[in-house]
Amino acid sequence: MTYHPLIAFFAEQGVPIQTVTLLLMLPIVATLVAFFRQVVGIKAFGIYTPSIITFALLAFDPNGLKYGIAIFVSVILVGMVTRLALKRFRLLYLPRVAITLSIISLAILIILVIGGIYNRTGLAAISIFPLLIMITLAEKFVATQIEKGSRVAFLLAIETLLISIVGYFLVSWDALTALLLSYPWIVLLTFLINFSLGKWTGLRVTEYFRFRKIFRSL
Amino acid sequence: MLDFFKKSSGLLGMNARNLEYIRPHNRKRGREIADNKLFCKRVLKKNGLGVPALIAKIRTHEELERFDWTALPASFALKPNRGFGGEGILVVYARKKNNPEAWVKANGDIIAIGDIKNHIRNILDGSFSLSNIPDIAFFEERLTLLKLFKPYTYKGIPDIRVIVFNHVPVMAMLRLPTKASDGKANLQQGAIGVGIDLATGTTTSAILGKGHRIEYAPDTRLALSGIKIPYWKDILRMSVEAQQISGLGFLGADIAIDRERGPVILELNARPGLSIQLANFSGLKKRLERVAGLKIKTVERGVRVGMNLFGGEIEEEIEELSGKRVIGSIEKVKFIGKDGKEIEVEAKIDTGADSTAIDTELAKELGFAETLRIFEEKVAGRDVMTELTKDERTALFSEIPDLVDTIPIKSSHGASYRPMIRIECVIDTLTVPAKVSVIDRAHLEYQAIIGRRHLQKFLIDVNK
Repeated sequence: MTYHPLIAFFAEQGVPIQTVTLLLMLPIVATLVAFFRQVVGIKAFGIYTPSIITFALLAFDPNGLKYGIAIFVSVILVGMVTRLALKRFRLLYLPRVAITLSIISLAILIILVIGGIYNRTGLAAISIFPLLIMITLAEKFVATQIEKGSRVAFLLAIETLLISIVGYFLVSWDALTALLLSYPWIVLLTFLINFSLGKWTGLRVTEYFRFRKIFRSL
Repeated sequence: MLDFFKKSSGLLGMNARNLEYIRPHNRKRGREIADNKLFCKRVLKKNGLGVPALIAKIRTHEELERFDWTALPASFALKPNRGFGGEGILVVYARKKNNPEAWVKANGDIIAIGDIKNHIRNILDGSFSLSNIPDIAFFEERLTLLKLFKPYTYKGIPDIRVIVFNHVPVMAMLRLPTKASDGKANLQQGAIGVGIDLATGTTTSAILGKGHRIEYAPDTRLALSGIKIPYWKDILRMSVEAQQISGLGFLGADIAIDRERGPVILELNARPGLSIQLANFSGLKKRLERVAGLKIKTVERGVRVGMNLFGGEIEEEIEELSGKRVIGSIEKVKFIGKDGKEIEVEAKIDTGADSTAIDTELAKELGFAETLRIFEEKVAGRDVMTELTKDERTALFSEIPDLVDTIPIKSSHGASYRPMIRIECVIDTLTVPAKVSVIDRAHLEYQAIIGRRHLQKFLIDVNK
């Protein structure tokens, strides 16, 4: 692989190539999330959560998708069950989130142990940071549950997962990595794209679907 | 495909709403009024608009502990000041019998002071506010349900959402609480949205929740279209006034109708939702673009423009079904006389009259001065009916130019004849050739009446 002189210079200064790649990928992932929101109409939990989940999925490699999605779904499911269980106690917000986080942590611990019993050592070998990222997803999820209801929260979680998976494929696409390392300036293109997304006033793809029944009577 | 995109350009999407309407038109002060219910209530009340009366407010946990519960009335609504989407609202209907410390909810559940306190603690801690910032709880009077809405409503109170832009009401919908929405008039939670014809305040099409089209109220055979909303003009006027007071250029005003007090403003919305387009089966963007840039000086004018521009959907539907035009009992009619002379006047649509009659002066202006002059000369002052035989009369009349016929009239002076001329009447863009009689109507309010003979292609709406 041929590096751009700039990238080569970074590497000489001791910045790992992997770090450079990830930092250059972040604007692209963020742009992807913005595109999904403005043009497609898939909302997800803001921009931070899907971006960070994308990188968490990467950190689960070599079995990124399989384990990542499993952990993600577990977090959401446990989060939903916990809400149902805690609802009748009418607890205040932060203690409630604290309990939810604790239960999710324990649940993941159990999943790892079960994985170990069935010789899925790949699961237990996952480093702690992507796990923590997944667990903190719970706060976003609980907050949305309270504000917009369980159904919306669940939908947003699925959308977040969807965007993260697309992001995962984008970031782990070798050709794109090679392109970025050879021509790092193309990252600047994301500014241009985001500027036009920021001024985009057309209907979103999901809105075409939402309003489909009206078209005939317009 | 191209046609599809062209059509969709009339719809308002989330991107355009935020970028082109909310951002430039809803400034900080307006948003502050919309997001702070107590502030909003105060500002609107100060400006003379009806709002539900405030009973008490609780700002802190200390105030909650010291609160005098006996001061509360038998029924009230407890709300979070910065709540949204109808969350965190508690409504009680009566005090429990023999227990001053407990109330009854809509579904019959008993709620004691302890429960209410807990609910208020949740409000104070921000459980129902945007981004969970600490909040204020307040009690306000419970509105009573209008009899008209009773059969359509599951608990709760329906409200009317009016979108106002540039001082013009552009779209409205009636929101009916359902079982699914748990008595809340919120579409996201499953309430019914019913589109409203702005000109008449009559409901048109309806959706359930976020897009399912329905015709009847759930579990009934009650049609949701054709409900005539009372105080309609007042509701539009209040919405436009609320816009002027709040400074929200792109406003969604929520108005409820109380059985005793009439319309009151529940809250103002700086980010009105887009489902109103589904309820009305119409695009909001198209309407917003039509009123943008209009110079609207008064509230009355804004209301009138809105009614004129965005009404008539029902009429169009009737017209399509019956193939007839719907006109009012007073209608602007253009008369086309000799040599294409055109005059437009307000005419009375009179289903009690057989034929059409116009004023002498009007006929003269239409180019029949000569006809009338000769007619007067030859006929007036003489009792032609008895003096002359039928043939003599025919011969006499045939000498008069442009006279097509005559009509015998009986009056206190005995019988006489009035001249009839041929003109064209343009009623609601439809041209009707007509033989009309000419008579002195100077002492009457309208210069012309249109009779049955020329109304065959029309339906008359007396409310118009």
